[in-house]
Amino acid sequence: MKSSNSIKTNIIWHRRIGLSVFLLLIFLAISGFALNHSPALKLNKISLSSSWLLSWYGLEKPLIKGFKLDDKWLYEDGSNLLYADKQAVATCSAPLLSVAKSSNTLYALCAETLHLLTESGQLLESFSQLDGLPNDVRAISAVDKSLYLITDSAVLEFNPESLALKPVSGIDPASLNAITDQLAVPESLEQELENSGPSISLETVILDLHSGRFFGQFGVLVIDIVGLLICILSISGLLAWINRLRQIKQ
Amino acid sequence: MFNNLLNNLLSKVIFTGLLTTTLLASPQLSAKGVYQSGPDFVAEVFAPQQPEPGVLWLNKSIRQEAEKILGRKVLGLRVRYHQSAGKTAWILNEIGKEMPITIGVVIDQGKISKVKILAYRESRGGEVRYPAYMAQYQGATLTEKYKLDKSIDGITGATLSVWAVNKVAALALYYHSQALPQPESTN
Repeated sequence: MKSSNSIKTNIIWHRRIGLSVFLLLIFLAISGFALNHSPALKLNKISLSSSWLLSWYGLEKPLIKGFKLDDKWLYEDGSNLLYADKQAVATCSAPLLSVAKSSNTLYALCAETLHLLTESGQLLESFSQLDGLPNDVRAISAVDKSLYLITDSAVLEFNPESLALKPVSGIDPASLNAITDQLAVPESLEQELENSGPSISLETVILDLHSGRFFGQFGVLVIDIVGLLICILSISGLLAWINRLRQIKQ
Repeated sequence: MFNNLLNNLLSKVIFTGLLTTTLLASPQLSAKGVYQSGPDFVAEVFAPQQPEPGVLWLNKSIRQEAEKILGRKVLGLRVRYHQSAGKTAWILNEIGKEMPITIGVVIDQGKISKVKILAYRESRGGEVRYPAYMAQYQGATLTEKYKLDKSIDGITGATLSVWAVNKVAALALYYHSQALPQPESTN
């Protein structure tokens, strides 16, 4: 009688545990399969960058700021690329310090390079520190048809044809009204940069879901309990099978 | 025939030996840094003469060929160079693994006379800057398929940098041919 009760209890609990971990077990099996074949499925190449996921992982999309010259936005996207509106035009070591427009040429001064662009935003050429750009240039300004480079200690006139620099005396840098204050770029442009900035691979997300880490310590504890329940499920299943064999023999 | 093969083999053995000695003698393989500025490189190459600056505008056909040589999109509408008596000097950038390598190339009468790394920004693979390696490019010309006509021995651990230098050397030869076109031979 006692034995029959314990067999019944075993079966009841086997059923209860089985039903309670049923969905999680299927999820763990599928996610485990996906992780095992991650290279073939290229899960590590799939980047996710939705705002809620990034904020869940404690990452923030940087606020992209830039300059507006006439109707064109010039900005650095946070990954050292200079954009003219929606088009990446050159590499640009952050920060983008200043911009100017003279005649038909746009100028964008990055930390290490001065880029010359056409009015339509195409890169003409770049003038870097290796070519002779002083490393303390902090702003540029176009007055009439001349372009001035403002360093910590001097004002230099830049010749866009020969790329030569000539020191100029008697000009107060403050009077040149260099554009150095950045503005937040419009949302329509930010949306174009969906693929730049921080992102998380699908493989990481699946791995974190599989291990429970996605939900922090609580998630890990749940997965631990599920693991324990799977062990109990196996043992209770084995016991039920043995008891049944015994009953058949008797 | 046999002598040629023997000479070729000997020169390769000597080159490998020299390169290995240079690398072993080097206390630090990380070669990050700026070695020479563009104006200094140009002044050194043409000294004591004063070279003339030139601009090569990249029209559609030049751009297409340049993109074939580099295997990527070419940014910029014009390229600067310096020239004097059939000799041109080019300063070009190409990405090794992740960062651009700035390379100075001198072409004299359609052949490479000098290749020098002016700035190297990667943390590894900077062995390409050693003179024993760079000397291999001397005398190289461009084939009809826009490849170097000499085979350049690679360096283990610096494969991407070697590829970048090869591409830039070929590109400089191509730009030279466009900037200073050779007169058609009249036979």
